[in-house]
Amino acid sequence: MPDLNGIIQIVIGGLLQGGVFAAVALGFSLVYRVTGVINLAQGAFCVLGAMAMYYFQTIFHWPLPLAVLGAIVSATLFSLLIGASTFVPAVSKLPVSSVLVLTAGLLTFFEGVALVVWGNQPYALPPFSGEAPVSIGSVRVPTQGLWLAAGTLVMIVALWWLLNRTKIGNALRACAENPLAARLMGIDVPRMMLLSFGLAAAIGTLSGILVAPITSLQFDSGRFFTTSGFIAVAIGGLGSFAGSIVGGFLLGVSEQFAAFYVSSLFANTLALLLLLVMLIWRPQGIFSSGPQRRSDVRDDMRIHRPLIRLTTSKAIGFGLAFVVLLAVLPLVQLPSGVLSSLAIAMILFIAVLGLDVLMGYAGQVSLGQAGFMAVGGYAAAILATTYDWSPLAGVLAGIVISVVCALALSLVTGRLRGHYLALATLTFGLLVDSLTVGLVDLTGGPSGLVGIPSFAIGSFEFDTPARMYWLALALSVVLVVILQGGMRSDFGRTLKAVRTDQLAAAALGINVGRVKVVALCISAALASISGSLYAFQFHFLSPEMVATPRSFEMIAMLVLGGEGTLVGGLFGSLVLTLLPTLVQSLALYKTAAEGALLVITFLFLPEGLFGRLAMWIAQIGAPPTPVPPASTPKLADKAS
Amino acid sequence: MTYPALEVHQLSKRFGGLLAMDAVTFSIPVGSLTALIGPNGAGKTTLFNAVTNLFPPSSGAVRFMGQDMAGLTGARIAELGLVRTFQTARVFPGMTALENVMAGAHRHVRASTALQMLWSPGARREERVMADKAEALLDLIGLRAFRDIAATELPMGAQKNLEVVRALMARPRMLLLDEPAAGLNDSETAELAALLMAIRDSGITIMVVEHNMSLVMGIADQVIVLDAGRVVASGTPAEIQRDPRVIEAYVGQEV
Ligand SMILES: Nc1ncnc2c1ncn2[C@@H]1O[C@H](COP(=O)(O)OP(=O)(O)OP(=O)(O)O)[C@@H](O)[C@H]1O
Ligand SMILES: [Mg+2]
Repeated sequence: MPDLNGIIQIVIGGLLQGGVFAAVALGFSLVYRVTGVINLAQGAFCVLGAMAMYYFQTIFHWPLPLAVLGAIVSATLFSLLIGASTFVPAVSKLPVSSVLVLTAGLLTFFEGVALVVWGNQPYALPPFSGEAPVSIGSVRVPTQGLWLAAGTLVMIVALWWLLNRTKIGNALRACAENPLAARLMGIDVPRMMLLSFGLAAAIGTLSGILVAPITSLQFDSGRFFTTSGFIAVAIGGLGSFAGSIVGGFLLGVSEQFAAFYVSSLFANTLALLLLLVMLIWRPQGIFSSGPQRRSDVRDDMRIHRPLIRLTTSKAIGFGLAFVVLLAVLPLVQLPSGVLSSLAIAMILFIAVLGLDVLMGYAGQVSLGQAGFMAVGGYAAAILATTYDWSPLAGVLAGIVISVVCALALSLVTGRLRGHYLALATLTFGLLVDSLTVGLVDLTGGPSGLVGIPSFAIGSFEFDTPARMYWLALALSVVLVVILQGGMRSDFGRTLKAVRTDQLAAAALGINVGRVKVVALCISAALASISGSLYAFQFHFLSPEMVATPRSFEMIAMLVLGGEGTLVGGLFGSLVLTLLPTLVQSLALYKTAAEGALLVITFLFLPEGLFGRLAMWIAQIGAPPTPVPPASTPKLADKAS
Repeated sequence: MTYPALEVHQLSKRFGGLLAMDAVTFSIPVGSLTALIGPNGAGKTTLFNAVTNLFPPSSGAVRFMGQDMAGLTGARIAELGLVRTFQTARVFPGMTALENVMAGAHRHVRASTALQMLWSPGARREERVMADKAEALLDLIGLRAFRDIAATELPMGAQKNLEVVRALMARPRMLLLDEPAAGLNDSETAELAALLMAIRDSGITIMVVEHNMSLVMGIADQVIVLDAGRVVASGTPAEIQRDPRVIEAYVGQEV
């Protein structure tokens, strides 16, 4: 039990930590208010700022004030450039859920850039004014903490002033309240979107610069800031500035207490549990914001990819040829490592297939699919190693546990929509992450679980990459055929109806909630199978193999290959898995490329690689598609 | 015992300080075609939303075929056979015209999801029967040739017609149509009137929101006039046409 001093010390630590969360949350709210989208790249701005600061301060030896200024300006300009060429056009073109996923791609891209520039070691910047902490009474505070507190305060006040006391602020708020009316009033809405993006970037950059001397940062710290800021904003109330600030500090302080009283390994877990409770108890956050919009008036349910329908004969013909091609691949002499990569791509495809049902068809964004992979992977691995279960039984057990998790998650998400659903799945993924790291006795902790046997059915062992590849291929074919059966029937129609218009779907008797649950369970089961096979393939499983970055990677695979096509994911998973293997020198650029490909595909090839291919195939020898009538056709004379 | 198709009793809906619907009471006989008219903002859409529990009413009761609708979800209400359309066309993007119509048949699909996935012959047969029926309906609105193009590429009027036949595909016992003629020209409106009468003659009860008085007067069995959330008049078209309160409601709006 700490004394009063100790408690004060914890609270101060929490407030400092919370200040950064609050700043990130403010960035979220700002962009959300103006564009209606959560910008997941927000946390990456912190790292960009710190990275620029590192160069100006430590490498170029600029004086402190100049270095800070230089870092803010350069990092913000870079973000603005990216925002202007990707985010802003996307907001006016893509459905909101796609923009959300696009910002996940931006996050990955920024991370990849930081990896190329910084490598993967952590960096701690020198504090602004020396290492010696100041003492206030008997409480010691690092001087950088004072800088951080002051900086956060200045940011909050400046933002408040900008929004409430200036013309630009008026225009920004007009966009937030009613974009259409704002446009009619002559406000350049895209410009305001860009402005909000830039402001959010500046906020993030500055807080990154301020916090870097306290917490050392590395290329992927942005992820941490994004998720923490995301949690803060969900607790406080999405789009509410006061809520963002309160949520940030609340989260910071409670994490510090959790770290002190429980264990720092579980500090994250507790924060996530706090969030889940919050989502169930008060999904709109402490401060709900914004006027309620009429939902019977159609809000924009855009779908930006072309409709692709292959005739059955073409689908069967090309499908068979493709499967045969894939099946004979292991028989040719392949460079070493390629066959293993093929097997991995195939295994990952199974999870991406599930994601396609959920995201591509039902339109529900999940940022936590790797969580189900982890459940399946660890369940099978632990049962097979510690309890001597047969691998097959382990896989089945994993499926059951994953589906139970999915059902439990549905209790939360059933009442949630849009961003909150993505948030809940992200929370789930992070929760699983922290458990796989924290439950050392069960999972082996960060160093992983070794000695996992090969997958086997009866006495037949899948102990070579070729066998695993064929196994995954056969399973994929069966799954695609089964899912396609559903997709071309009523089940597929209900998914697509739910994706674009839940009210109209319900008005036809479609049980929207049930459809979402079924889609989530399918995706969870497939991710679980994939996770299990993944563990058997490597004979080893560690938390980072099935952590949240994997969720983002699978989204990139799906989008690159083509959403809503089932088969598309395979193209994405092949490209993103094989490229770094084939061209080793590219490995460093993998993360950046993944993010960039995701963003570029969304903007310029919405149908994805496979979608484009399928469009070509559909055109071969097909009669010209009828042009839509220019005016409403005449009704038949007699209605039957 | 025979029930009216729809019985609405003292139905009110409050949005914050605004009483959008104030103690609305009426009843609609089975097999009739009722028109709901009233100036903009009168609360017609709000009435539909309340009846289908999209925005549950603040107070009052709704009975459909004798059954109390309180607390039922929108999907459950549709399953009971009360199907609505929306004021703005809400065809499903990302689906062809044919798929859109077939989506309407959801509540009649017998094959389980598992059987659909296993390509069971029964499920495939059911699917073909539904497709045939959907094509016939598309034929009715002149869209058969466009069955395979994206529904959202159709002209607005065609999308509204598509929404009507999608609702028909659900084989409803009663249809609530919110301004199906909005955006149609005169001759298209006349065609729609014929279609509505044919639907009514096939035994489906209809309640339709419509601004076009001449259309309403030509086809409706009963007219309900709503103004500022209140029923100001109801009766046969002839009675309504003579009613000074109706003229006032509309003229008052024009000023
Ligand atoms: N969800 C809502 N939130 C707030 N106000 C609402 C909501 N739905 C309807 N209203 C208000 O209730 C009143 C009635 O609206 P409603 O849409 O029912 O009118 P209507 O008769 O359908 O008009 P129109 O002919 O324009 O379609 C309007 O003043 C409208 O602004
Ligand atoms: Mg209306």
